[in-house]
Amino acid sequence: MATLRLVFRELLHRKLNFLLSTLAVVTAVALFVSYFTTAGAARRETTRVTRDIGFNLRIIPASTDMDQFWAVGFSDQTMPEDTIHRFAKYDKVFLTYNHLVASLQQKFEIAGKEVILTGLAPTITAPDQRKQPMGYAIKPGTVQVGYQVAERLALKKGGSLELGGKKFAVEQTLAESGTDDDIRVFGLLSDVQGVLNMKGRINEIKAIDCLCLTADQDPLKILRAELAKALPEAKVIQLRAIADARAKQRQTAEKYFAFVTPLLLVVCAAWICVLAVLNVRERKMEIGVLRALGYGSGKIAALFLAKAVVLGVIGAAVGYAVGSALALQFGPEIFKVTAQAIKAEPVLLLWALVAAPAFAALASFIPAMLAVTQDPAVTLREE
Amino acid sequence: MLRFENVSKIYPTSRGAVKSLDALDLEVKAGEFIAIRGPSGCGKTTLLLAAGGMLRPTSGRVTVDGQDLYALSSRERAQFRACRIGFVFQMFHLVPYLNAVENVLLAANPATKNTDRDRAAKLLAQLGLEPRVHHKPADLSTGERQRTAIARALLNEPKLILADEPTGNLDPENAAEVFRHLQEFHRAGGTVLVVTHGTTADAFADRVVEMRAGAVQNGGFGKRSS
Repeated sequence: MATLRLVFRELLHRKLNFLLSTLAVVTAVALFVSYFTTAGAARRETTRVTRDIGFNLRIIPASTDMDQFWAVGFSDQTMPEDTIHRFAKYDKVFLTYNHLVASLQQKFEIAGKEVILTGLAPTITAPDQRKQPMGYAIKPGTVQVGYQVAERLALKKGGSLELGGKKFAVEQTLAESGTDDDIRVFGLLSDVQGVLNMKGRINEIKAIDCLCLTADQDPLKILRAELAKALPEAKVIQLRAIADARAKQRQTAEKYFAFVTPLLLVVCAAWICVLAVLNVRERKMEIGVLRALGYGSGKIAALFLAKAVVLGVIGAAVGYAVGSALALQFGPEIFKVTAQAIKAEPVLLLWALVAAPAFAALASFIPAMLAVTQDPAVTLREE
Repeated sequence: MLRFENVSKIYPTSRGAVKSLDALDLEVKAGEFIAIRGPSGCGKTTLLLAAGGMLRPTSGRVTVDGQDLYALSSRERAQFRACRIGFVFQMFHLVPYLNAVENVLLAANPATKNTDRDRAAKLLAQLGLEPRVHHKPADLSTGERQRTAIARALLNEPKLILADEPTGNLDPENAAEVFRHLQEFHRAGGTVLVVTHGTTADAFADRVVEMRAGAVQNGGFGKRSS
């Protein structure tokens, strides 16, 4: 008789054992699914917010006077443009830094008033980065004009703006931002270097942190340590804003998960193991008879391991549903910051369908071996 | 067909070694119906399990058609049991979650033909269980359970049936019926070895062998004693 047929018949016969064993798998899977559903949401949301607020890391010359920096908004010191390329080539830099953009910012007078002329180089990403580079894409000979400057000079898209004796096409006038971007004029780095007569110089590298630090790590400490190794002539400032709150929330969740997961896995595995041992004991006589009928060790072990796999598959499906429902129902309440980003993750079902049967089979391995090594003669003599 | 040569079986226990078979010699010829009779604890079940390749003797040889059973690997012995031996137990040992026909089909050997569902159903019908084929053991009477167990033992058309107190839980009427079915198998050329502590089997057996303290007490007697 086919092993699976026997397994299903036995599952339906011993309903309590089946329900309790399935519950163990469901609990383990539900925990993982609910965690990864909310963690996935947290990660997406953090990334989105970080993108929204722009680059959150500013690498500036180490000699920068920070009082002047915060008063003016940019460094009065410069560094060679080559710095960014050296940094990008530094081993493992993209493990902690992402999306590097070199910039040069200087005050510049246009029509009797100061603006911040800002040159931006094309974004440098990790060699294996698949995502489109974020940030501005400015064509040579064009500028993007901040809201206040555009209003004052009555500039519109398609118009022109003269900077240092050279005419630039206005590619875009920016919407009001409520920041100093409103008095900025953005151009390509090489164009702005030409206007300012500062060829090959930059005074800032903008970057975004990779958001991949673990729960017990202080991001700024690591970022600074990495930078000190790669670029001793520079220092990094992190904009600790709302993204930080999300990162902290994620780190806290990771901490709890790191503590609870092994504990829960051990408890669930022990639970399955004990139920399987009880099942083996209950089926001692059945195993003895199957032996008498000529069933080999492989078939006996297969009966118990196949049962574990079936429990794993059922537990994975139910656990996925329960875990997703828990995440969707209670996730927004617990993780308020990322509430809107929480959604079911179908890919977790595939993972669960692979991992849960393997987990259940592993937990049932010792009981299966007990069944295999059980001496049928002893059992049959006991009757 | 089946031969025990100077077979001993000693069980180590916390209170010392217990000798269950003591230099036992016995020969069962092909087509014989033998009843082994003796009191509880005299080694009858040990003898039966050793004959079925399920209990390795401490010393001596158990051969079936000249083949030393315990010279085979455990896999080969399992295969040997599946193809050539049918077991019947006192407690029937039907699998509780399978119905009668499925219990019979448990013995189906993928390597053997004629072990399909039709043959199982036919065997059950021959044993008077046609209306009960889809009943689970809990829904069968004790007599019906034992007949189901006999059908299971017969499925692979074995040469030898080993029955351990097959009527120990049955009333005299059902006990006689079970022995009649075993006798039919025997008349069709099969060999039967029954161990029992009662005398019901005497009327059906070619030979009755008395056992005491792990050894055969006589060469056997009966209506066709050899």
